[in-house]
Amino acid sequence: MNHATPETETSTGVSRRTALKGFGAMLGAAAFAKAIAPLTEWTRDLSVDQFLQKHYKELSHIDLQIILRRLEKETKENYGADVSIQDYKPQPGVKFGYALNLSVCIGCRKCAEACHLENNHDRPSHQSYIRVFEMSKGSLDMEKGNAHYDHPVPQKDKFYMPVQCHQCDHPPCVSVCPVEATWKEADGIVVVDYNWCIGCRYCEAACPYHARRFNWSKPQIPANEINPNQSYLSNRVRPQGVMEKCTFCLHRTRNGKLPACLEACPTGARVFGNLLDPDSEIRQVLAHKRVFVLKEELGLKPNFFYFFDV
Amino acid sequence: MTSSTTNPSPTTTRSHWRDYPRFLWQAVLESVEGNRVFYIWMTMLTAIFLVGANAWAVQVRDGMQVTNMSDHVSWGLYIANFTFLVGLAAGGVMMVIPAYLYHDEEMHDLTLIGELLAIAALIMALMFVVCDLGRPDRFWHLLPGLGRFNFPVSMLTWDVIVLNGYLMLNLHICGYLLYMRFLGRRPNPKWYIPFVFLSIIWAISIHTVTAFLYCGLGSRPFWNTALLAPRFLTSAFVSGPAFIIVAIQVMRRAMGSTFGNGPIRTLVNIMRVTILINLLMVVSEVFVEFYTGGTHTSAAHYLYFGIHGHNLLVPWIWSSVAMTVTAAILLLNPKVFVRPWMMNVACVLAFIGIWIEKGMGMVIPGFVPSVLHEVVEYTPSLIEWKIMAGIWALGLMIYTLAIKIAINVFRRSPLAAKAQGGTTEEQLLAS
Amino acid sequence: MFTPELRPQPDDVAARKPGGRWSWMQAVIIILGLLAVAGLAVGVLQAADAAKGTAKSESPVLPAKTNLFPVVIKRPPGPPQVKTSLTNFQGQPVLVSCSSCHTTTKPNLENRSAADLDQFHQGLKYQHGNLTCLSCHNSGNYDTLRLADTQTVEFADNMTLCSQCHGPQRRDYERGLHGGMNGHWDLTRGGRTRNTCINCHDPHTPKFPQVLPVLPPRDRISIPAAHAATTGSTAH
Repeated sequence: MNHATPETETSTGVSRRTALKGFGAMLGAAAFAKAIAPLTEWTRDLSVDQFLQKHYKELSHIDLQIILRRLEKETKENYGADVSIQDYKPQPGVKFGYALNLSVCIGCRKCAEACHLENNHDRPSHQSYIRVFEMSKGSLDMEKGNAHYDHPVPQKDKFYMPVQCHQCDHPPCVSVCPVEATWKEADGIVVVDYNWCIGCRYCEAACPYHARRFNWSKPQIPANEINPNQSYLSNRVRPQGVMEKCTFCLHRTRNGKLPACLEACPTGARVFGNLLDPDSEIRQVLAHKRVFVLKEELGLKPNFFYFFDV
Repeated sequence: MTSSTTNPSPTTTRSHWRDYPRFLWQAVLESVEGNRVFYIWMTMLTAIFLVGANAWAVQVRDGMQVTNMSDHVSWGLYIANFTFLVGLAAGGVMMVIPAYLYHDEEMHDLTLIGELLAIAALIMALMFVVCDLGRPDRFWHLLPGLGRFNFPVSMLTWDVIVLNGYLMLNLHICGYLLYMRFLGRRPNPKWYIPFVFLSIIWAISIHTVTAFLYCGLGSRPFWNTALLAPRFLTSAFVSGPAFIIVAIQVMRRAMGSTFGNGPIRTLVNIMRVTILINLLMVVSEVFVEFYTGGTHTSAAHYLYFGIHGHNLLVPWIWSSVAMTVTAAILLLNPKVFVRPWMMNVACVLAFIGIWIEKGMGMVIPGFVPSVLHEVVEYTPSLIEWKIMAGIWALGLMIYTLAIKIAINVFRRSPLAAKAQGGTTEEQLLAS
Repeated sequence: MFTPELRPQPDDVAARKPGGRWSWMQAVIIILGLLAVAGLAVGVLQAADAAKGTAKSESPVLPAKTNLFPVVIKRPPGPPQVKTSLTNFQGQPVLVSCSSCHTTTKPNLENRSAADLDQFHQGLKYQHGNLTCLSCHNSGNYDTLRLADTQTVEFADNMTLCSQCHGPQRRDYERGLHGGMNGHWDLTRGGRTRNTCINCHDPHTPKFPQVLPVLPPRDRISIPAAHAATTGSTAH
């Protein structure tokens, strides 16, 4: 039959055709329900509070405290660890800067390991916000860089360049986020609200320093390895499907402490401090050392500097 | 629809509250009625869609680790398809230009086909975006007012606005025209002509905004070119007409509709020009990349020749080039109008060639090498292929149903009557 | 639907007020264009604001630099002591100070390398440029060190000795750019511990030893580790 014929309803009820169609529809609906059944396992981990949670910037103090306690409870349920999640605000008169001495770095990756432990990263993937590149002496061309070296360091003809988030002043990741889940705070740190991010990964495409990481799965960390001193915007255990990035350990640095990567460096290659304080160590680097900025031509005004010891 | 022949004259009391649900119900009835080919086709598509739905549910539960995307190649098959489909949606409606600006009467009938293609392609594109999200449950964060909408700084927000606006526009035009037909009333030009013209302009904007998503990123030199938006537009004007030409012939065969060769001729002529402009733009890009050289052109090297032994995309892009060039040669041949096989082969080749070039061949090289010059390759995983198949199946289902509902209209048009040589109910009504 | 009589006829258009249909459309286009321009302008202003915003926070409202917490330098307590092979009644090794032996032996000013030490201090690796042992060790009092101008310095003050030749490193150290630190960047909120030279550099072989790197990235999708190991690089 090439064209539609109207359904003639007989006085005895529905025709065979309609019955067949009804049966087919029921079958289809049942098949669809079965097909998307895995979603029910996923929704078990979600709660209405999580779903309705507002953006960090719209939370009142009380809202935030309730959420922090809820998140502590969820971490206990998911990972079996007792943690304390706080919220630290930026301090006035502070803008963080970080410098790295390329004459001194030996590529041991202890900074990456400290980040891995401090920030509650996924264990199997050796995830870290710091990626260390073994570069050939005589060239800053990252095409010749290698992040997968596994031999004693330092090698004679190589130098080592760790790369992490530069906390740019004109961050492209902040511009492209469609839901404002990432923003630059007053002390210069670019943060992510892990409960607001929709996981579109546009920021990961926009970042020129490979600084953003996505949670492709739920992070796996044994309970006894979880760092319990956490904060909402930095090192609390992130959920699956959201972006994350280096926060200059704001749960430490906003309390005046040094970031974990700096303390772990055995050669003292890292320098951190307040760019607005003319007596700070980071200002000494900028005043006295041969400083360069990676990909400076992109005009993003990063706050991470590389320097040499001459 | 037969109810139109039994409708009373427009002067009796009418309520849209009552008629519109009846119209929708008629559409539903229409969509589950057909011949055997139709049932087999729809059942097969439904089965594929269910496979895709299940794959997506698994992806949401287990996380995006089930895909082969990584922190190096963070967009893959989904966004590649999304980009291509936005172009297809734009291309479908661009055929409206000759209809209205050049008063091509035969092309008027084609505008509905193009707009329905735009609707189906847009729904598919939006579904691909949702499937690419790490947290689809947080979709409401995108809604202005409810969530936080980073407009106008984020190009993604522009994309959300223009794509949804374009969808609403086309739904309105098609819905209004079909509804008026259902009521047996003459459509008021005030309610669709301005929107049709708006949709022409809007079609350009959807693909331009999608291109701006990519070419605004300074960290990705492969995308950071001014030519990207024009390239997107010309390839849309190739893939859109190619699909429509094939769709018209399928409609002729499967639904017994009669379309004159005029619209097809116009579309082939459009394609002849746009496929050449598209090739010219590709040549322009290739020249700039390979003549300049340097690290910024590593991505083009990776795409066309591979780097350091990594060359997964090389066979794909060269096939795309071969397909597009072959399609161009076939289309430029004068005999393409008398040999349907030549035209159909050219259309299929052009469609697939553009799919490769604007899909995987555009998105993936932006990530290889990475911003820190690491080479990590990407081939989609089985789950990604399943989800892609499921969404394409759903899109084809929507398009089939939409065409099916609209096709009755053409059967009653005087153009078809002229072809068939008899009177139609329409002529009876008009007299 | 698209039958000829349903399309707008020329007389329809003429029957309405002149330019009626076109002005409808023109108005829509103009409004959209204005909206787009306004949106772009707002975007540009917002982006400029964001850049200025960070600059605004740079008004130096610095905390007062009073009551600073101490910076502790991990000086050695005194001269090193050498383990003998004897143990005391508690089972601990007997330690002797340098002067135990060196007050009774005659200093050999010619010793330039570890190979010259034929009696004690076996296994000492020495690689510190062209210096002799007594360039730094004080032949008059082996429990102290000496500067180039024969002045005596205590072992706890070893940084003064190193600095006489390694001035640039000492200068950087004073500025906080060399030698690392543990503790606080903000000394108004906490103290800091710093190293002396010999905490990181063995004075006899000061060059940093090679170490094995830790925590190689195990990216989910990556080049095979074996490939990287054999070539030593992901890039050729």
